[in-house]
Amino acid sequence: MKKKTLTALKYLFLIVASVLSIFPFFWMIISATNSAREVNAGKLTFGAHLLDNLANLFHSDLAFGASLANSVWIAVITTVLALLISSVAGYGFEIFRSRARDRVFNILLLSMMVPFCALMIPLYRMFSAAGKAGFAGVGLNTMFSVIVPYICTAFLIFFFRQNTKSFPKDILEAARIDGLNEPGIFFHMYVPVMRSTYAAGAIVTFMTSWNNYLWPLVALQEPRKRTVPLILSAMGSSYTPDYGMIMAGIVLATLPTGLIFFFMQKQFVAGIVGSVK
Amino acid sequence: MKGKRIAAAFLSLVMAAGLAACGGGGAGSSAGSQAAPNSQAASSSAGSTAKKLTIWAWDDTFNVKAANEAKAAYAKIDPDVSVNVVSMAQNDIVAKLNTAFESGNVDGMPNIVLIEDYRIQNYLKSYPDALSDLSDVTKPEKFMAYKLKTMTQDGKVYGVPFDSGVACVFYRTDLIQKAGYKDADMQDLTWDKFIEIGKAVKAKTGKAMLSVDPSDLGLIRMMMQSAGKWYVDASGKADIAGNAALKEALTIYKKMQTEGITVTASGWDAGVAAVNGAKVATAVNGCWYASSIKKASDQSGKWAVASFPKMTNVANSVNATNCGGASWYVIDKVPGKDTAKDFLSKTFASDTALLDSLCKDISLVSTYQDAVSGQNVGAPDAFFSNQPIYKNWIEWTKKIPAVNYGTSTYDIESKMTEAVQSIVKGASVDDTLKNTQTEVEGILSAAG
Repeated sequence: MKKKTLTALKYLFLIVASVLSIFPFFWMIISATNSAREVNAGKLTFGAHLLDNLANLFHSDLAFGASLANSVWIAVITTVLALLISSVAGYGFEIFRSRARDRVFNILLLSMMVPFCALMIPLYRMFSAAGKAGFAGVGLNTMFSVIVPYICTAFLIFFFRQNTKSFPKDILEAARIDGLNEPGIFFHMYVPVMRSTYAAGAIVTFMTSWNNYLWPLVALQEPRKRTVPLILSAMGSSYTPDYGMIMAGIVLATLPTGLIFFFMQKQFVAGIVGSVK
Repeated sequence: MKGKRIAAAFLSLVMAAGLAACGGGGAGSSAGSQAAPNSQAASSSAGSTAKKLTIWAWDDTFNVKAANEAKAAYAKIDPDVSVNVVSMAQNDIVAKLNTAFESGNVDGMPNIVLIEDYRIQNYLKSYPDALSDLSDVTKPEKFMAYKLKTMTQDGKVYGVPFDSGVACVFYRTDLIQKAGYKDADMQDLTWDKFIEIGKAVKAKTGKAMLSVDPSDLGLIRMMMQSAGKWYVDASGKADIAGNAALKEALTIYKKMQTEGITVTASGWDAGVAAVNGAKVATAVNGCWYASSIKKASDQSGKWAVASFPKMTNVANSVNATNCGGASWYVIDKVPGKDTAKDFLSKTFASDTALLDSLCKDISLVSTYQDAVSGQNVGAPDAFFSNQPIYKNWIEWTKKIPAVNYGTSTYDIESKMTEAVQSIVKGASVDDTLKNTQTEVEGILSAAG
């Protein structure tokens, strides 16, 4: 009897927790199908305005379509570069021994403590000067300026190093004895074995880049270069915001990270668990 | 073999990235110091005119639309200049301006930017050379005094005034009549009378007189300004503990809640929902609130507007005040400042036809004196019982007492919000305000 009540309580708690976490998503999807006035009135059933909202979204002067393309490009390039650079670094830190290794690594970890706000103005000046110095395509207001600060993060290097600890060193020895060179070992042995770590790293990096707000806001000036979060913010700033349209935009903005997570869920969990081991 | 090729490609990529980063950093330290005098030279000679202007503003349905109409009007005057209007959230504009002004680097900044009146003093004080002197564009006798005061520093006018935030009482004529009062009773109200009518409305219709939002002190701000007072005095020093107008406003605010004539609506949207859902008989807010009221098209003809109630116990309190509003500014170091000035002086600073058509298209209540005689301004509005609401609003705007908004209205207000909540819950007004005074003095000294 006592056990039953306990189970019942457990389920009750879980039900409440799931409702709390799912309701905002549910509301977002519902709101995307309703008109602004219905959203304001708190309507909680599906409406008939989804197509109107989407049409408004894509026909607004804010170039939502272009912003989607920008966000995809920036997130994909950032993710690919970040995985490549950080995994090499993490691998190097763990596999190759040297006296200064841990000292360098500690300094790297310290850089995680510096908040981005403190870096923003130096970065801004740096990219502005780079643009003025005549390096085409590297100044402010370019995709480059939004990607570069994020292609090598202390967190990702740390993440890869931790996971490399569980990489079986015997493979390494065997490959060396068989005469495979170091880059070959990395690309043919390490990368395939660490697939789940790459998946977890990819999801985290993609999400951070996709949702990134402050730096793209400051760095990107031209309206057509803006990313999705900036456009959503501009839409919400109206004295009379069209919530139906905004919610439709937010649904579209949530889809990519949601899809990526669902497709890579298994690897993601394996990758995170791997880093704890 | 394949491994080698991949490794080579990868290495070159890393090196390229490294090079670019170093190049950027190196150039930053050397070119940064050279570029500054260059850009200054450019703005004072060759760069003062431009063929392309950029304008930043927020709200597609209001300011951005206005800028686009001005762009169309200016295209007829100078077809060679192309104007690019960029829509952005107000907070985003503030973040970008702060970064640019703080780093002393106006790369990618617009020529013309819209800045809220509550914020402009901060920019004028913290970054004295950032904005252009527009004294030769904005003719003081042509604009409303209260608006000019916010953008004047050391006798120079730095902006072109745009929209009025003149406040008024929007009221439901049907509910007021049910409570036993007439339209005449609503004119030139005092807050005492407002509460008296509110009690009758509550008793006879069961509806609240007004919705209050605990996180928004707009109402208290409006009451204060109706007596020519603000959170800071004329010299910018904190004026909280000894501010009689603020005390009276808080007393009225609290009385309305204890008398039970209000309903709490947390957040902007809840307030709009209360109005659109016929839960309240009035809304006391800036004229721009009309667009939210009009969303409930089924209530057309049931609404009317009356001037803002004054406070009987405070000397100088008048039936006019303001809530919000913004103005146009020119960023000085961005090349093309003379073109930007020309644009503003031929559109928002003089073109009455443009201002009149904006009245029709975006319900603009202009702060340009002559706008009152416009054709659209005088037109009756069917939603508001066929009142010439725009004409009323412009007339009331002329009476708004001018105050110094100071540099930190929003920071002060976050402290005040707590204070107001504890006063409503029963804390002593004098003690609470004394504490807040100390906190606000801290904020102001930190802001410089």
